[in-house]
Amino acid sequence: MLKYFRVKQQPEKVVPDLGAISISLLERDATLPFTIRQLNNLPENIKRRVYRGLIPPALLTRFGIDPFQWTNTNKEPLVFLNAESNSEKVLITAHTSPDPSTEFFALELADNSLNGIELNLIVLNDPTTPRYSIDQTDDGQPTMFGTLKRNLKAEEQALQAGLAPGQVRAGLGGSRIVFEQIDTFLSMLGHRAYFLEPLTYASAWVFERRGFAYVRGHKLMDDIHREFQPGGMLHKRLDDGSPFRKRDQAHTVRGRAWAIHDGILDALDVRWDKIRMVKQIGRHAGAITFPQAEY
Amino acid sequence: MASTHRITRAAYLESLNEFREFIKEHCAGVSGINEEIIYDIQLAVDEACTNIISHGYADLDPGSIILDLEVDSAKLTVSLTDFGHSFEPSSAPIPDVDAPIEQRELEGFGLFFIQQSMDDMDYQVTEDGNKLTLIRYLRKKVGG
Repeated sequence: MLKYFRVKQQPEKVVPDLGAISISLLERDATLPFTIRQLNNLPENIKRRVYRGLIPPALLTRFGIDPFQWTNTNKEPLVFLNAESNSEKVLITAHTSPDPSTEFFALELADNSLNGIELNLIVLNDPTTPRYSIDQTDDGQPTMFGTLKRNLKAEEQALQAGLAPGQVRAGLGGSRIVFEQIDTFLSMLGHRAYFLEPLTYASAWVFERRGFAYVRGHKLMDDIHREFQPGGMLHKRLDDGSPFRKRDQAHTVRGRAWAIHDGILDALDVRWDKIRMVKQIGRHAGAITFPQAEY
Repeated sequence: MASTHRITRAAYLESLNEFREFIKEHCAGVSGINEEIIYDIQLAVDEACTNIISHGYADLDPGSIILDLEVDSAKLTVSLTDFGHSFEPSSAPIPDVDAPIEQRELEGFGLFFIQQSMDDMDYQVTEDGNKLTLIRYLRKKVGG
């Protein structure tokens, strides 16, 4: 999960829009990238046909969802497309049943100010596993996945259940085929790369494994790895002072992620808000900031 | 048949040694590549990466440098991709190498060394980063 909820103003375009997609535009230079906004301005059925290419069919058939109709065998819609005309975002969600709490997939893409693409949100949850309310306080206030407020009790339970910070449920698996699908979809649009801001250390590590490099923050990731070694400044702060700062957490991606979520980066006088990653379409960067990592 | 290799490291000086070792590892023992060529490639990559670190990522939390190395029987191609400020090699000042040493500018020799070490150079700024491509021909082009 990413910082899709980050409060920021819509960036002003520094390059002009190319206008609506038309046959004459399609006939021109095939490397010219299309924007999400252009897709969103297509007629509904064409738009739906195009965006169908964003979800791996195997992910849907796994839950008995027809990848063409986006319905179950009872003809109930289980995949939802939010791609309004003139909007620069597209959000696709999928549930295993009409009950929204069974959401297992969410993906949001958006144009950025350079007509590039931002991956604002990707969720792959296993809806059969227990849900931990790390995303809201006991009185129902949103926590923004623990970045704005924290539900410490739920977070501790999530940690003990083996989840990483930001996760409300165990992961579904299948991120590899989802990222391959995104690569294919965006190459069809003519894009060479897309960008994201990882919500947590654990998600940055996952994105590394999926081939992302760092636009910002590669050195910070190296610094974090170094300082979690015995004698390092972060290692020293793992003092059993809280459930999120146990001594053995330095050895695992999740352990480090929880400690960072708990604010341990204060020791380095930095915050977890400088990381920006890039995926070059069709290429795996091979970045490794935690060698021989155990998740 | 070309062999291709890739390494991605953070843009800071400590990474330079890893890039040098990577080049040596994949070039040593390759037909047509001697120690002098390896040294030239290492020098060019050192200088180019130093520019990226000092100027490309200046005032930024450093991101990655991606080094791609492609070796075939005719040439050796190194591509360096970064995501910092772009740089236009043709706009860089040309150092006066004939000036007395006490009058020479300290800056500007990196590009000069790269040009001396490599046969071709290309620089592109695209959606997926700033890409500097350096080529060293193992068999000199006829008429080149």
